[in-house]
Amino acid sequence: MDFLLNEEKILGQEFIDQGYIIRDVANKEALNKIHKFLNDQLSKKGDNTLNNTHESIDIDDLNDFRLNVIKEINAQPWLKEAYYQIAKPYLDILVGNELAMQSRINLSIQLPEDSSSLLPVHADTWSGDSPFEVVVWLPLVDCFNTKSMYLLPPKAANNLSDDFKLHAQGNSEKLFDLIKNDVNWIKINYGEVLIFNQAYPHGNRINKENETRWSMNCRFKGLFTPYKDKKIGEFFEPITLRPVSKVAMSYKLPSLYKSTYEK
Amino acid sequence: MEERVPQHVQNIVIRDYCSKKGMQYLLSATEYAMNNSALMLRQLVKELPTIDGIVAYSMFQMPEDDNERQRIFNSVLSCKKEIHFAVEGLSLYDLGTYNHIENIWQVKKTLPHCIF
Repeated sequence: MDFLLNEEKILGQEFIDQGYIIRDVANKEALNKIHKFLNDQLSKKGDNTLNNTHESIDIDDLNDFRLNVIKEINAQPWLKEAYYQIAKPYLDILVGNELAMQSRINLSIQLPEDSSSLLPVHADTWSGDSPFEVVVWLPLVDCFNTKSMYLLPPKAANNLSDDFKLHAQGNSEKLFDLIKNDVNWIKINYGEVLIFNQAYPHGNRINKENETRWSMNCRFKGLFTPYKDKKIGEFFEPITLRPVSKVAMSYKLPSLYKSTYEK
Repeated sequence: MEERVPQHVQNIVIRDYCSKKGMQYLLSATEYAMNNSALMLRQLVKELPTIDGIVAYSMFQMPEDDNERQRIFNSVLSCKKEIHFAVEGLSLYDLGTYNHIENIWQVKKTLPHCIF
């Protein structure tokens, strides 16, 4: 039996076939609010657009700035919900509507020619994430070529997985050399959102474009699906607990024995 | 609940949490090692009127029994104090945070019953 609506089947099949989907953000107001918030953070460093961040910040100062902005992001009580609203209808279809969300939203800032902020090829599942998680990746600027991230498509990822032991003695750079002709460089514009399967190898390279990339990322999973090292409470929090679950979780069968408080 | 981290590591995490939050760390209390013991925790709760609040290493160190745990949380709220959980970076100080932390607890207890 498969009672999914046609539009749900189309989106789901696209995710399965490509390992990702890209759609217009579901809540433009939420996106604008986040964009303005980040612009305000950058304006403390000078009068530049996000794309031109490299004109305001040196590579040496970038990580401190980025960590400070992440702290500010996660101190905003409205921002997590806004982030969720941006992807909500797509998450409902791909993951479900009773969700856990990563407690802290991440931010990447990739200045042109910066080799200090690289994520070598990896799948999140290789370092403790559950395959039941997806990443919602939100660009704050148009992203293309090396200004973006890459993702290895499912077929190539499965081939790599099958042959992984052959490459286990190498290093992550050799691993990238192996897959570099197969990866998809994600082309995505501001106003769109990417949801991808973090179990497929992905990463970034030195940004060879002349603009800075700003993107945010956050993981979501079904609340009652298996967790790996990233646990409920310390890494994930419930965000859409449903009434039946709430009531059922504290349900107790009537006791056949007298209460100890009963005289 | 299934969690054990060496005590000195717990103290490092708690001190770091207090430092980041600008809290003064007065002294540490160690729970008795017997299963399900909450004697020290109950003593701390009794002393709440003389301190600002409690920082625990993890929320899952609280009593597994719902009534016992909720009684402690309610005592914290009725004293208008706070209890913080360093690993999770969460704190309980009003009805909203009480519900959020209880939801996480209930999900954690339910997960072993989910068929994976």
